[in-house]
Amino acid sequence: MTNAIVQATDLKKTFGSGRTLVRAVDGVSLSVAAGELVTITGPSGSGKTTLVSMLGALLRPTSGSILIDGTDISTLDEAGLSGLRARTIGFVFQSFNLLEALSVRDNILFPAHLTKGGVKQAAPRADELLERLDLTTRQNALPRTLSGGEKQRVAIARALINEPKLIIADEPTGNLDSKSGQEVLMIMHDIARDHGRSILLVTHDQRVEEVADRVLWLEDGALRDRKQETREWAHDPVCNMRVDVWNSEIYSDYDNVRYHFCSKRCQDRFGKTPKQYIGATPQSQSHQEERPS
Amino acid sequence: MLKWTLQGLFLAPQQLLASIAAVAGAFVLVLFFEGVFSGESEKIVAMIERTEADVWVMQKGVGNMHMASSFVSDWKVGAVASVDGVKKVTPILYLNSVIEAGGRSWISFIVGMEAGDPRAGPWKSAGGAIVPEPGEAIVPDIFALDAGLSIGDSIWIAGRNFKVAGFSADTFSMANSITYVTLDDLADTISTIGAVSYLLVDAEPGVDPQALATKIMVQVEKVNALTREEFARRDFSIAVQMGLEIVWIMTLIGGALAVLLTGFIVYSHITGRERELAVMKALGVRDRAIYFSIMTQALFIGLMAFALAVLVLLIAMPTTEMLAPKISLGLSANALVRAGSMAIIASLLASIIPVRRVLSVDPVSAFQQ
Ligand SMILES: Nc1ncnc2c1ncn2[C@@H]1O[C@H](COP(=O)(O)OP(=O)(O)OP(=O)(O)O)[C@@H](O)[C@H]1O
Ligand SMILES: [Mg+2]
Repeated sequence: MTNAIVQATDLKKTFGSGRTLVRAVDGVSLSVAAGELVTITGPSGSGKTTLVSMLGALLRPTSGSILIDGTDISTLDEAGLSGLRARTIGFVFQSFNLLEALSVRDNILFPAHLTKGGVKQAAPRADELLERLDLTTRQNALPRTLSGGEKQRVAIARALINEPKLIIADEPTGNLDSKSGQEVLMIMHDIARDHGRSILLVTHDQRVEEVADRVLWLEDGALRDRKQETREWAHDPVCNMRVDVWNSEIYSDYDNVRYHFCSKRCQDRFGKTPKQYIGATPQSQSHQEERPS
Repeated sequence: MLKWTLQGLFLAPQQLLASIAAVAGAFVLVLFFEGVFSGESEKIVAMIERTEADVWVMQKGVGNMHMASSFVSDWKVGAVASVDGVKKVTPILYLNSVIEAGGRSWISFIVGMEAGDPRAGPWKSAGGAIVPEPGEAIVPDIFALDAGLSIGDSIWIAGRNFKVAGFSADTFSMANSITYVTLDDLADTISTIGAVSYLLVDAEPGVDPQALATKIMVQVEKVNALTREEFARRDFSIAVQMGLEIVWIMTLIGGALAVLLTGFIVYSHITGRERELAVMKALGVRDRAIYFSIMTQALFIGLMAFALAVLVLLIAMPTTEMLAPKISLGLSANALVRAGSMAIIASLLASIIPVRRVLSVDPVSAFQQ
């Protein structure tokens, strides 16, 4: 692919050695085109963070090659990698990671110090981002006074201030309530679609599949399709929400059938009067995952 | 980045203030000690400078007043007086002794001066007689303060009884007080006959003291003659030499204290913010910039502490002189420059302490929960 922003070939990363050797990432090849939103999901410990750390030029792979915007990053020294990250990559973290001492506005402008244009040239962009992410009234606030959703919007604005070609987000909705999470996903979606940025998004959030161009399933450090395709969906018999059987931890067995729930609350309601809810929805129904193209 | 550096410090203002105060304490220690020392050094040459004799004549081989004893035969008084260009010669006996009065004792230099001639006497009176008569002594005013002495009271000098006839001002310091008695009394007390210690020489108007000193050495055998400036310079440098080592040790101790304190502060500041460092590194901030930021923080603390220390001393000095007149303080520009440089060097050294810590922060940890 000629317009690939990220091009990774046979990436491997191991930690430790001998009996404690961990193959965190084990032969991953992928490429992300400009304007593409690619999601990486997978079980805990499957190597998602390790993979995006390497793709974000934060961690050197044990083997394999990474091209970011055409540059082979193994040819760069630490300072070169820092410069590449500052110019080309925006990061959004699960735990927001705002700089405590700085105001919302200064947080957003922080990465601008690392570029040629500096804060002066970035100031109009900061105003625009504040506006777009609905933060204008909070621009002089300190991070500790913000809600989780606001914090993450500030982090997104910070990731965008240098107009990077690539955004890497690791569980950006992990610490947010459902509504704020949804909002963040929609913002991500707009960024990719309207502004042509490439986005690599690690998430467990099911809703992302509606906005992603491509969903990658990482398991034991390698990209797999099979699990993805045989993924099991169940519907909560109480509220009828879709539940991922693989990751579901809230379930009850009734009449030799296993029922999965979206929440403890639904489970409790089901427990009181199970008969009221069964028969309405088919249970543990396996089906092929539809894929947005 | 600079914003992060400084605003980060102000996130915990009490902690910042406490750190600055602690480092300032180290600087005050050094400056105060230097102040005491340099005040004392100035007192050492007070008599030489304040009596304003143009030339001092002493025993050959003697070059200073405080680390030597000089004996000059008294017939040389006349010999020096007859040198062309000499207006007046005033002989003194000079020695170090213990003075006792009212159950207290002090170490003091005793000047034996010719009865009735105030030339070598105290330059500033604080009451009573200016010149001692036989059996009398003029003592520093601080002695009076210390032991409740008043005029007419008895004191003991080298085991001999004297009557206090007057008080002199500016003649007290911890190691260099001056008490005046008559030359004959002092000679009698120490059983010296036919000798004096120094000759104070006043030149005729227009005569160059240096040329006169040289002339005296040529014309009068076995004496050394020094101009006032030279004599004072030598005494002062002896005092400085004696004290320099101590001042240096104090400066080093104070400096080490400042390095450790500042280092500890920036280190603990960094330790609490490793996550932010990881984030900054992830966003593309280079290690170099982070060091620079730490250095700026350390310098900020160091310079604020230095300013605070100077302020404290400016307030403390007049107060000390009022409350403890025995301590002579001198705060020279030199001492300030030295302490200021020490503040800068200490800050730079202190910022080396957290370097390893900064290096070891892994930007990947920004991804951790
Ligand atoms: N620095 C490290 N040293 C040793 N092992 C590591 C290191 N980083 C990650 N690992 C291991 O590599 C594997 C993959 O970890 P990684 O954090 O990439 O998983 P993940 O998919 O992001 O998990 P999660 O969904 O819980 O965030 C895990 O077994 C982990 O313990
Ligand atoms: Mg992870």
